[in-house]
Order: sequence, then structure tokens, then C-alpha cells
Amino acid sequence: MRGLRLISFIMTRLLQAIPVVLGVVVLNFLLLQLAPGDAATVLAGEAGGAPPEYVEQLRARFGLDKPVLVQLGLYLKNILLLDLGFSFRNNAPVLGLILDRLWPTLLLMGATLVVSVGGGVMLGVIAALGVRTWRDHLISVAAVIAYATPLFWIGLMLILVFSIRLDWFPTSGMEDVVAFHEGWARVADIAHHLVLPTITLSLFYLALYTRLMRATVLEQRGAEYATTARAKGLTERTITLRHVLRNALLPVITMAGVQVGALLGGSVVVETVFAWPGLGQLAYQSLFARDFNLLLGIFFLSACLVVIVNIIVDVVYVLLDPRIRVGGKA
Amino acid sequence: MRLVRRLVVVAGLGLTAISLAGLPALAQKRGGTLVQITQPEPPTLGSYVSTANPVGQVASKIYDGLLEYDFDLKPLPSLAESWTVAEDGKTVTFKLRAGVKFHDGKPFTSADVQYTFMDVLKKVHPRGINTFAEVTAVETPDPQTAIFRLNRPAPYMMAALSGYESPILPKHVFSQGDIRTHQNANSPVGTGPFKFVEWRRGEFVRLDRNADYWKPGLPYLDRIVVRFIGDTGTRAAALEKGEAHIAGFGAVPYNDVKKLEKLPNIQIVTKGYEMLSPVVELMFNTKKAPFDNAKVRQAISYAIDRKFVIDNIWFGFGKPTNGPISSNFAPTGLYSADVTNYNVPDGVERANKLLDEAGFPRKADGIRFEITHDITPYGEEWRRFGEYTQQALAKIGIKANLRYEDVATWLKRIYTDYDYDVSSNHLFNLADPVLGVHRAFHSRFIRPGTVFVNGVRWSTPQTDELMDRATIEPDAKKRAALYAEVQKIVVDQAPLAWTHEISFATVLDKRYRDVIVSPLGLFSSFDRAWRE
Amino acid sequence: MTSSFWVRFLGNPRVLLGIIWLALVVIGALAAPLIAPLDPFAISGKPFVRPMDGFLFGTDSLGRSVWSGLVHGARTTLLIAIIATLAAVAFGGMLGALSGFYGGRIDNLLMRITEFFQTIPSFIFAILLVAVLSPSATSVVVAIATVSWPPIARIVRAEVMSLRSREFIQAAVTLGERDFVILFRQILPNALSPLIVTGSLLVATAILTESALSFLGLGAPNFMSWGFMIGAGRSFLRDAWWLVAIPGIAILLTVLSINLVGEGLNDALNPRLRTP
Repeated sequence: MRGLRLISFIMTRLLQAIPVVLGVVVLNFLLLQLAPGDAATVLAGEAGGAPPEYVEQLRARFGLDKPVLVQLGLYLKNILLLDLGFSFRNNAPVLGLILDRLWPTLLLMGATLVVSVGGGVMLGVIAALGVRTWRDHLISVAAVIAYATPLFWIGLMLILVFSIRLDWFPTSGMEDVVAFHEGWARVADIAHHLVLPTITLSLFYLALYTRLMRATVLEQRGAEYATTARAKGLTERTITLRHVLRNALLPVITMAGVQVGALLGGSVVVETVFAWPGLGQLAYQSLFARDFNLLLGIFFLSACLVVIVNIIVDVVYVLLDPRIRVGGKA
Repeated sequence: MRLVRRLVVVAGLGLTAISLAGLPALAQKRGGTLVQITQPEPPTLGSYVSTANPVGQVASKIYDGLLEYDFDLKPLPSLAESWTVAEDGKTVTFKLRAGVKFHDGKPFTSADVQYTFMDVLKKVHPRGINTFAEVTAVETPDPQTAIFRLNRPAPYMMAALSGYESPILPKHVFSQGDIRTHQNANSPVGTGPFKFVEWRRGEFVRLDRNADYWKPGLPYLDRIVVRFIGDTGTRAAALEKGEAHIAGFGAVPYNDVKKLEKLPNIQIVTKGYEMLSPVVELMFNTKKAPFDNAKVRQAISYAIDRKFVIDNIWFGFGKPTNGPISSNFAPTGLYSADVTNYNVPDGVERANKLLDEAGFPRKADGIRFEITHDITPYGEEWRRFGEYTQQALAKIGIKANLRYEDVATWLKRIYTDYDYDVSSNHLFNLADPVLGVHRAFHSRFIRPGTVFVNGVRWSTPQTDELMDRATIEPDAKKRAALYAEVQKIVVDQAPLAWTHEISFATVLDKRYRDVIVSPLGLFSSFDRAWRE
Repeated sequence: MTSSFWVRFLGNPRVLLGIIWLALVVIGALAAPLIAPLDPFAISGKPFVRPMDGFLFGTDSLGRSVWSGLVHGARTTLLIAIIATLAAVAFGGMLGALSGFYGGRIDNLLMRITEFFQTIPSFIFAILLVAVLSPSATSVVVAIATVSWPPIARIVRAEVMSLRSREFIQAAVTLGERDFVILFRQILPNALSPLIVTGSLLVATAILTESALSFLGLGAPNFMSWGFMIGAGRSFLRDAWWLVAIPGIAILLTVLSINLVGEGLNDALNPRLRTP
């Protein structure tokens, strides 16, 4: 019974998601129309100046000479056919450009999520178990320092120390472009390049999850069920690890779900510092180049991704906390 | 057809002599990979549709031009073995090299030259539309001869035939389909020393040695990898660690260049920008009060302390100036120093006096008038330059509010809407003033919507005429005299305040030799570069 | 608020430290023209003067006083962060509470709206907003608030949903208490601690976002801010450490203090914590 409801819940959510995703596309499309300047001007500007005929040629080629609503209609029609259009600036189909960047993005995102959620939960519990002891203070202060230090600074310092001084890791990039390793050597090479960017990006989220975990664990320990368990004579440690942890995971998972979208764009700085070929950088560059087909494509993809992650988060809620009803009629 | 041979360079044997001249006694070695940092990543590799700086840095290794140039900007043979210019200047005949093959193995012939100039450069190349406007036809009497027919003489054209500015394309590849969206833009096929292998977006472009290159024994390097690193600090770190070997065009901030210079493995090269010659200018909206008043513009030019700007913002990589033409043109005689000198110690007093005369007295709060200064959105040094300008103007009683917008917005504001007071920019002089200087203040270049032209909307019939005459004047002395007069007038009238020439610096790993061997620097083919 | 709250709150030495630093920053920001008479943008000395060498905190690459930048920058930075956070908390909190409490259609609708904003990569969206609106203090606030509220809404909703099914709320519903009374009297006070923790972190995030935007050159160009100082000093990270370190430490201490105070509030508001 519960399994059936779960499936119908997922289906409903997926159906509901279609208008959301389309809405995102329309909203962003219109918002981008407000941005002054267009792709033709930027391209001509990069080219170091161009005659007006040339700029007009570009506009006609990009379809920028058509009315906005016609452009929007065409775009929506194509989106429904899963055709994300053509990036004139890059002279390549949008879908291909995005897919090329997708796996480095997922790699960095995945590594970061594992390190930050795993580490955050662990440190948060350690801090909460020893509330107001030196362990708690140390973890809390370290977390805030990690949280408050600008990402680019951490990144550059890591490069200075671990790459230039100690020569343990490469400064940047995803693989060695002189050697061009293959097979397992390439996997190892990419993993080697992944270390510094993952640490940099994780520190911020690690701090966030540590603090959230500590706060909720402390709160949950005051809940009735914990008191009951305490009355049964269970130790504080057992209560926390057996009962509290499961409930305290809820806000952390919410946060992690929320941050998938943010991670996609928020890694711009880290991707830039470590020259990691991810989607964040691509989005940033396409905005300033007014390459709207590409930017809308990234927004579309990120919308799909977040919708899926949110559904997963809601399902995880149900599994963790049976009191929450699926589908939610009061 | 009566051709008078005025300039003939017969190459063949001569070529090897040229390429060996001036080399150190060290023996060049084959092999090695050169990692070049280019910033930002190019949008395309089609250097025939985009003259964007990064495009040229990559494509110039793949495509050859008809000519190459030496440091005095004199043409040298390349795909053209020799050439003759008719006395009336309206016919140019190129004798093409035989036995040259494109990367796909097909031979290079005059048909490719005809196609490249008539169907591509003249139609879709942003600068080619102007440069080759006078070319009416390219005739191909035989596979090794290409004859350019011109409406009027265009001596500047001969300076625009490098593989960077006018890449020779294979007709059999590019003539199929629309040239503007051609799929081979990003998998280029040329005759150059390096072949395109792979472009992984956001990471690198990989170019491998062309074993069948027409220059015997060249290139020396096995591979060039062009990497894209978005962060300035990381770029410097990669060079310091030896992960990358060359970077130019301000890809490394000027203060970091100073620091890298001290490292044992790195040298700084300032040669190789002679065909670009960027000059920094303050732009005034001359159709808008109070900038329609020449005295106001002159006052502002006096207020800029060029030494402070060069020392503290460009960290010494610059040269003070007053006029539009770069001192790199001194050898050709086109540069003139006989102009008003705004770079004087009592500049602030002179500026205050001029503003008083112009009818803008200081009010009770010490302010004469208030303006908006649009910061050039090209990076940190431009921000600092904007902030410095604000402070310099405050000294002469002008309150400047800063506005900072992204490139697209700024371009539209300055070159389409003309909705600004003062801004700044830097225009490349390029290989000839006709290509790089006229656009800034000739009335023909007041074109809303076209960027990097006469955004100040200033012109006089007198300067227009002088420049038109200089365009077709074949005699070098007379041409220099015409430009001397133009410079005198525009510097006095100050529609733009030219402040300094930027001396770009290339950071180069010392293990690599003979990398910068032409005035095009990073825009040249690197065919002679080798690794110790 | 009972007196025991204040005792618990102020009796915490970490909270006191945080309050002292925040008070210093606020006083510095208010009294900026008095304690730092030099215009933060004015070229007042030689470039790259080291700290304590005629200038308390030295000068930057153009010879501008870092001390002036610091105190004048505090104004912009704090103001932007606080306004943006208040807007985000008010809006996100309201949406989340309604959504979690009523569930069903309202929940669906509101969560779709939240999702709508969450599906767009937030930092890119902030950059987009600032680029479209043209960089200014207002556009920075709008951008930060717009990208900050969805997490608040999700957190509050999750808390309210969880509390909604607890016995004491069910009891109140059965007793026929009015919705907004239950919401404000019973549910919100219990959902407050995560809201305070997240909210205080949000002020910190807003400071960091402002600095990231300024760092990319998208800050308000005529206002000195800490982010601007870091952005302008970053190229000199290795030769003039104080240009990034001083505003960086200011941001760090401020974010730390906000957190200590937020945490103290959480502990003080949440008496169940005293149990262990």
C-alpha cells in the first residue's frame, strides 16, 4: 500500500514538475531579454570592431531580428522536442556543449557532496556529543572559519602550499595535458587533479552541515522520545547514535537537496580558480557573452536536476520520518 | 598588362637564410610539448570570421598566410614566394609556393587564395570587409599565380596578409555549406605547422606537429597544447610551476609579471606586439555638454598623471603618450611627436585655468560640475584606472560618479546609444593607421551599433580629408606628412585623451627558444620554436 | 522574553565576545567619518605602504588608506547584508510556514514557487539579476534576497510539517484553536531554533555573497565595501598580504560573531538543551 502511494506520489510530482521547468525557461527567457546588449554586439566587440553590415548579418543569423514573442515561441517549441538549440558563439549545438561539461560537473559535485555531508554529519555529532567541551568549541570555531573565508582565497592558498611549495598536486585542470594518460593511469590522474578543488568546495558546505547537524542533534535530544529512552536507562551516546541521528539527518538532507542547484552555479569560483571544466564557468561565460541559448539550456538542465533531487529528498523524508504523510492531505 | 616590378622578393633558397639569421649557435632540437595559456577561451577557432584575440592565438598555428613580417613590419614570403605591385597600385600579383599540402593531404593552389579572399575574408571577416573593400577580383591564370585587382590603391592591404589576419582556407573544405556556421570552424584544416587534434571545451585545444609541413625540418615541437585557466592567480602559479610555458596579452597581471621575472626558470619578453600597438584613451562624448567644449577635454587630459598611471596601475608596462598613433610606427615615419604635450608637471593648474576659461567656475562646494565615468569592463587594471580618473578629476573640481557594467552593456552604451559622459578604452593601431587609427575619429566611422569605432562622434572635414589622402598615398614621406598634420589637429582638439601605450609582456619558460620571432608574437605560427 | 532567557543568553561568554565585536563594527560603521576622516577612495599616500607605517593598516595599490576602507566599507557591507537577510527571512519564513501548516494544494503551489527559484543556480542567478538591473546597492540587495529565501522556506516548511503531526499540535487542533494562533503560538516558537541558526548564517552568507559579487566587479561601484577591498587586493595576495587579510579577517570575525550570537540565541531560546 505504501509502495503504491509512493509511486503515484513520484509520478504526480514529475507531472507537476513539467510546468515548473517550463516556467523557469519562460521566466529566464524574458529576464534575459531585459539584459542590455546582445550576442551580436559582444561577438563584434570581441572581434575588435566590425562594420554595421556585419553586426546585422550576425543578428539575422542568431534570429535576434525577430520579435521577442516569436523567438520565445520558437524556443519553447524546440525545448518540447528536447532540442536546446545552437550556440552561435561557440558554433556548436547547446546540448553537446552542456553534455561535455556535465560529467566533470557531476564528478566535482558528487565528490563534494560525499565529503561535506559525510564529514558534516560526523563532525556535527561529535560536537553535539561533547557540547560545550573543547571538542565542540574547536569544531564550531573551525567550521565558522572555513565558512567565512572566501573560497578563492582558500583555493589559491591550497595551490600555493600543496602545489607550488610541496609539489603534491597539480595547480589546475582536470588532467595532465603533456602526458595525456590513458586507461587507469588517466583515472588516477583525474583523481589527483580532483583533490584540491573538492577540498576547497567542500570546506564551505562541510562547515554548513556541521553546524546544522550539531544544532538539530542538540534539539532532538530534548524531544520526548529521547527523554523516554533516557528514562529506560540508555546512555547518552546510544540515544544519540541509535535514535537522534535518524531524525537529525532531516534538516541536513533538506539543505543538501536545496544546495544541488546552488552547487551547480556556486562552484563558479572554484571552477575558475582550478580551471575545472564545469557547467558553472560555462554559465558564467555565456551570461557575459549574451549566449542566451546556452545559458537557457543550462538553466533548463539545472531545473530538471533540482526537480529530481527534490523528489528524492521528499522520498527520503518519508523513509526517515514515518510521521510525515505522503501527498499531504491534512 | 604592364607590370612594373617595384618590389620583388624571391624566396625559395632565401627562406632558409631568413629563418636561420639571428639564431643563437645552439642546435635546435626536435620534440617536446609547449603549453600555452590563452585567456579567455576562444568562442570559435574560425579566425576568418572572428578576430577575437584568443581565436588568433590558437588559429595562427594552423593556418598560414600569404606573407609573414619581420620586426620592422616588412613583409616576408610565406605561402606567396614572391609578389609584385603594379605602379598604379591597382594590381598585385602573387607567385604561390608549389608542393604545399593542406592537413587533409589536398594540394594548395591559387583557387584557395581566390576563394579565401573573395568568398570569405571580403564577406565575413570583421576587418576584412574594410581591408579588402577595394579588391574587385582575384584572378587565377595558373595554380601558382593569384592576381588581385583593386578599384583604388590600397597599400595598407600588404600589411594584412599574415596567417593571423588573413588565414588561407582550403576551398574544398569550406566552400560546402554556409561559411558562417561551418562545422570545420572548430576542426580547422590549414597548411600551418600544427594540425588540429582536439578541443575539449573549458580545458584545452591540442595541436600536433604537421609532419608534412612545407618548411623543411619544421616545426621542431611535437605538440602545442593551449590551456584555458580562468583565474589570474592560478595562471601565474601554473607558469611558476612549469605546468604551462607561455602566456601573453595581460593574461598574467602586470604585478605578477614583475614577480615571475625574478624566477630562474622564467623570462619576460616584450617584443612581439609591434603589429598591435594598443594605445589607452579617455573617450569624451563630444556631442554632449560640457564635452563639446575642447577646453574641458584638454583640461581632463592635463589632469591625468601618466607616470602615476603607468607606475601604479600598469606596473611599468607602458609608455606615456599624447597622440593616437603608437611610437611603434616611428621606424615607418608615421608617428609624430610634434603635438601638444599634456604630460606636464603643472597639469593640474593648467587644467583648472582651462576650466575657468571655459566658463565652469568652482561652486561653493569646490565642484564645477558632476559627470558619470563609465569604467571599462576589461579587468582589474581598468577598474583601477577608472578609480584613479575619478580622483584625478576631483582635483580639478569635477565630481565623477563611477558606473560599472558588463561588456555587452558597456559596448551598447558607448557605441550604440552614446549614452555616456566619459569612458576609457584601448584601440589596437594594428599594422597600419588606416586599419587601426582612422576608426577612432574619422566621420566614416560614426556608426551606431558598431563597436570600437568613432564612439566619441567627433570629426572635421579637414581631418577626414587628410586621412582619406593618406589612405591611398603611395609615397612614404608624403604619407608621413599627412599623418603628422592629423596627429597635431586631433591631439590639440582632444576628442579623446590619449594617455599611454600599453607594453604587453609575454611570460615565457626559459627552456623554450625562438618562440617570439615576429611582430605578431603569440599570433605567429611557432614553427621555429624548440625546447632545450 | 523572561529574565532567565537573558541570563542564559548573556551569561554565555561566547555570546558576549560576539556581541562586543559586532558592537565595535556597528559603532565603527556609524562613526566612520569621525574615526577615519580620509575618503576611502582618495589617493592619500604612496602605494603599498605597510601597516603601522604612517597608516594604521597601510595603503593599497593606488595609495588609498585601508583603515578608511575598512570602516567605511563596514557600512555598505552590513547594511546590504542585513536588509537582504531580513527580506529573505520574512518572505521565506512566511511561505514555508503557510506551506508546511496547510499542506495540500497550498503546499503544492508554494513549493512549486520555491522550487521555481531553487532550480536556477543561485549564484549565477544573482549575477544575472545584478547584470540586468545594473550594479548598484539596490540591485545587490535584491539579488541576494531573491536567491536567499528558498532555503529558509524549505527549512521552515520541514519543521512545521514535522511539528504539525506532533501530539500537542494535534491536541490544539482538536480543541478548535484558530490556525494563526496555533501557527504563531505553538509551531513557530518551536521551529525558531533552526530558523535562527539558518537566519544568522544567512547574514553571513549575504556578507560573503556581497563580497563575491564585488569580487567579480558587480558590487555598487561608488560604495566602499569589504568585498570590494578583497577584490581589489586579490592580485596582490602574495606581495601585499594586508590588502586581502585585513578585510578578510573583518569578514571572518563578523561572520563568526554573528554565528556565536545566533547560536547563543538558539541555546537560550531552547531550554530543552539544558537537559544533558
